[in-house]
Amino acid sequence: MKLTLDWLKDFVDVPVTDPADLVDVFESLGLEVEEWGRIEPTFSGVVVGKVLSVEPHPNADKVRLCTVDIGAEAPSQIICGAWNFDAGAIVPVAVPGAVLQGDFEIGRRTIRGVESNGMICSEEELGLGDDAAGIMVLDGDYPWAAEHIGADLAKLLPFPDAYYDLAITPNRPDCMSVYGVARELAAYYDLDLVEPRTDVTEVGPPSTASITITDADACPRFVAREVRGLVARRSPHWLRRRLQLAGVRPISNIVDASNYAMLEVGHPTHAFDMDRLGDRVVVRHATAGETITTLDGVERTLEPSDIVVADETRPVAIAGIMGGADTEVHDGTSRVLIEAAYWNPPSILLTSKRLGLRSEASARFERGMDPNFCDRAADRVAHLLQELADGAVAPPLVDEYPKPIAPRSILFDVAEVRRLLGIDLTVAEVTDLLRRLGFEVAGDGPLEVTVPTRRPDVTRPADLVEEIARLHGFDNIPDRVRTGTGGGLPTRERKLRKIRDVVVGAGYHEIATFSIIAESDLDALGLPEGNPARDAVAVSNPLNEEERLLRTTLVPGLLRALAVNESRQLKAIRLFEIGTVFMPGSGKLPEQPLRLGFVAGGQPEITWEGQGRTPDVFDATGLWELLAVELGVPQPAVRPHRSPVFHPGRCAEVLAMGTPIGTVGEVHPAVTERFGLTGRVVAGEIDLDELLLERTPWRFEPPSTYPPVIIDLAFAVDDDMPAAALTDTVRRAGGPFLEELTVFDVFAGGNLGQGRKSIAIRLVFRAPDRTLTDDDLVPIRTAIVEAVERTLGGTLRGAS
Amino acid sequence: MEALDRLSQLEADAPARIAAASDLESLAQIEAETVGKRSPLLEIRRGLGSLPDDQRREVGRRVNEVAQLLGSLIAQRRSILETAAMEEALRAEEVDVTLPGRRPPRGTRHLIDSIQQEVVDIFVSMGYTVATGPEAETEFYNFTALNIPYTHPSRLESDTFYLDYGEVPEGTLLRTHTSPMQARYMELNRPPVYIVVPGRVFRRDSDSTHTPSFHQIEGLAVDTDITFADLKGTLAHFARLFFGPDTKTKFIPHYFPFTEPSAEMHAYADGRWLELLGCGMVDPAVFGHVGYDPNQVTGFAFGMGVERLAMVRHGITDIRALYDPDLRILRQFR
Repeated sequence: MKLTLDWLKDFVDVPVTDPADLVDVFESLGLEVEEWGRIEPTFSGVVVGKVLSVEPHPNADKVRLCTVDIGAEAPSQIICGAWNFDAGAIVPVAVPGAVLQGDFEIGRRTIRGVESNGMICSEEELGLGDDAAGIMVLDGDYPWAAEHIGADLAKLLPFPDAYYDLAITPNRPDCMSVYGVARELAAYYDLDLVEPRTDVTEVGPPSTASITITDADACPRFVAREVRGLVARRSPHWLRRRLQLAGVRPISNIVDASNYAMLEVGHPTHAFDMDRLGDRVVVRHATAGETITTLDGVERTLEPSDIVVADETRPVAIAGIMGGADTEVHDGTSRVLIEAAYWNPPSILLTSKRLGLRSEASARFERGMDPNFCDRAADRVAHLLQELADGAVAPPLVDEYPKPIAPRSILFDVAEVRRLLGIDLTVAEVTDLLRRLGFEVAGDGPLEVTVPTRRPDVTRPADLVEEIARLHGFDNIPDRVRTGTGGGLPTRERKLRKIRDVVVGAGYHEIATFSIIAESDLDALGLPEGNPARDAVAVSNPLNEEERLLRTTLVPGLLRALAVNESRQLKAIRLFEIGTVFMPGSGKLPEQPLRLGFVAGGQPEITWEGQGRTPDVFDATGLWELLAVELGVPQPAVRPHRSPVFHPGRCAEVLAMGTPIGTVGEVHPAVTERFGLTGRVVAGEIDLDELLLERTPWRFEPPSTYPPVIIDLAFAVDDDMPAAALTDTVRRAGGPFLEELTVFDVFAGGNLGQGRKSIAIRLVFRAPDRTLTDDDLVPIRTAIVEAVERTLGGTLRGAS
Repeated sequence: MEALDRLSQLEADAPARIAAASDLESLAQIEAETVGKRSPLLEIRRGLGSLPDDQRREVGRRVNEVAQLLGSLIAQRRSILETAAMEEALRAEEVDVTLPGRRPPRGTRHLIDSIQQEVVDIFVSMGYTVATGPEAETEFYNFTALNIPYTHPSRLESDTFYLDYGEVPEGTLLRTHTSPMQARYMELNRPPVYIVVPGRVFRRDSDSTHTPSFHQIEGLAVDTDITFADLKGTLAHFARLFFGPDTKTKFIPHYFPFTEPSAEMHAYADGRWLELLGCGMVDPAVFGHVGYDPNQVTGFAFGMGVERLAMVRHGITDIRALYDPDLRILRQFR
């Protein structure tokens, strides 16, 4: 909300010399200053002058010759091209030597043979408004002008001024006005608050307007005031300027009065053209399908939950949100009915949300206005119309208040201040702080605090503590470091850190991708209908129609990230993400397992030693093996797997204790192509649950000091026999002395015959307490060979 | 005394030959010819037995003397030649050590995670523990349990991602803050509570300062005697640990439905005052939802944006850079 220091000074005598000082004050009160600035005159050397005579120019017919009293001994002769004034007008005169905005210096000039000693200025030329059509006539708008002929205009206008754009938190509807903010300042400085002028002179016969409220919960109070005999004209300059500085466009005095009053006192009002409105005003629920064309020209269809202001025939306003076009004030309006109501905030929010229609009024009513201010709000407008538009205020103030709202009373134990803030304030200090904010305080223990109805946010002792803290000053509360009573990193966190360390250590860079993906991402993965990853939870209000699914896999995000890097010519790309995926579950919430996803691809790096290696499936299984060891995964295993995402011959499932927990491998070329990738791409996705579990600490094994015995064995096995089957069998048969098993050669062809391959393994045997002999090893070797033959149909090819 | 003459001759000639040996091979040759199997020395020593007693002693002494002398000269020469040979071999292996080194592959943790961990560690060092909650959350925990009324604008579909999952009226959504964990944790644990909750959150927003998802760290301390002074002191201490020991902070009143009083902490960093986090004393209504007695316990809560901390400290002006997977960005996250 934008307001000026000048306007604030109408209500409180702010004791600041530099407007910058007020920024900290606003902040300490919780009124965040989003922006502020000084307002300085954009002119100098402009004085108040009185036009003594206006004559035609002897040689030109578009300009006139004026003699102007500028307070000097002799009047000045000034040529002026504007026609909106006559002799007697009080006008701003830029005398020779004056400088207007844009460093435009005014001098003596001769125009068509006649000397002109300066310039009579328009609002626009003085930077005081956007009216450039005529000169600025001061006497109508500024009654003091006539008494200051020759005086410096800059000193008579509110300069220097400052504007502040305040962010008002939603709990403080009372601060959505100049008057409301002024009240905060008055409390801060402990100064008196000047009340807005609401005095009216009632004339003429009583108003015929009547109000009927059908739902007192939705509308506890409705005040109306009739003003007659209005003359529409432009509002005075000071008012227009205040509106403009507050970001509101001036329209005409009748409309401006309502806007001005809302900015000033906060409470929105609405003026109906009474000649277009029936006498019997009804506040009621809309009927289903009822329509109204609002001020913005849009026809809106209403529902019974909406509250409208209506006359006998039709709705004339959507309550608290926007008036109807039918009864809008226009240039010919002479009689208005001013509405100042109190609307139930949730009902305003509901309708405003449903219609997607928000206004300055709805923003205020949905937060809660002061029900006991309606009368003053109506008469603030009536007062302005009386002053600005020759309005005759009709008796009486029509006030329907079927459901009076009384101020709330809170019992307050001053000990709460110590308990919540950690400081000691006396009863007198607390009483003083609350009174300054306009709260009534009675008693001395506990205090009985009466909260004004403008403060819907204050309902409990804790709310009073906040008020006390705010006004006492957060800076005056000491700092104390509070340490916890326990603490420490839970296992899950420690394990997560370890996983990150392992993957980072393996050369992968962590990324963060979005959790919402598109159906087309799943298409690009080649997932058929019925694939579990297709069963995604949808977002009901996505930012765009395309991306509307919660990710069921991290892979598409990673592949897309890989493609971004590849398109930017980056090489040797290894990326990973640790993130949540979402799947329909059986409980109130979707299943949300945490996963590790990784990809590697792109052109290999070129170094002075040549080109690096392109990653393949064994980089993926190797990373899993490393993780399994580092995280102590029990019985980690790898077995061949088929997945539409992966290369059919280069994909593995990874297992812990026989349970599959992830898939790794080379991405199917059709999939990489759909993601715009070239070359081999390695990817994997592993559920982390198993890796995050606490494990019993590993036990130390002293290394044997005896020499090893090394045996190399090569087996011919069927082509499709996984190496893991062989190594598992050998390991089982190898007994306790088998210390190390390494596959060191795999080949097919040669004299092996069709459908066979050779796998060579090196076995290292060692005993902890002695040197092994042939007596030990011969039976072991025999057992291994037999086991391989029996269970795998493998034959020993040779030994050493 | 032919033998003695021959020894003297050897003593006179051999040293020059030894010194002239240019490689280990020729030195071995010389060794054989002077002190080795084919040398006069060995011949004379073998003939000692046939010499008369009086000569035998003298010749024997001289044989040892010359043998020792030549042996040591040969050893010296061998050492020199060996050293030279090794030097030459090493010279042949010389490389340009200014060529780029072979760096072990090493990735980077994401800045978001590093910052998150750093913040967590600061609080863990102060006796807090870590709790994490679900990203897809119920409306109840995200809003209702936190005293956020049904009419609050943050519940609007324009601000919050709702899910086609669960049952009306308490449907499901993507959590808009890490605060739901306040309620979840308190429901399951009795006071005292000292936790931080890092995690991903979601808002329906996208521009240079907002991404539809970002990360927060929530903090909650509940005990029998926690005051606003504890909140101020603890968070100011955090700011000093995170931004540096001279970091100034200020607290200004703010509004959150789940704290009362509420505040924003601003820190003077990067040459200006920056809004760093929201905080406040836990609202009695929140305690009510989880079955804590607001008359028995008090607490403070805070929430900070991880991306914001990262951006402030590392001079990042567009939050979207943190969601760009470009390796040139990621490699900077060290």
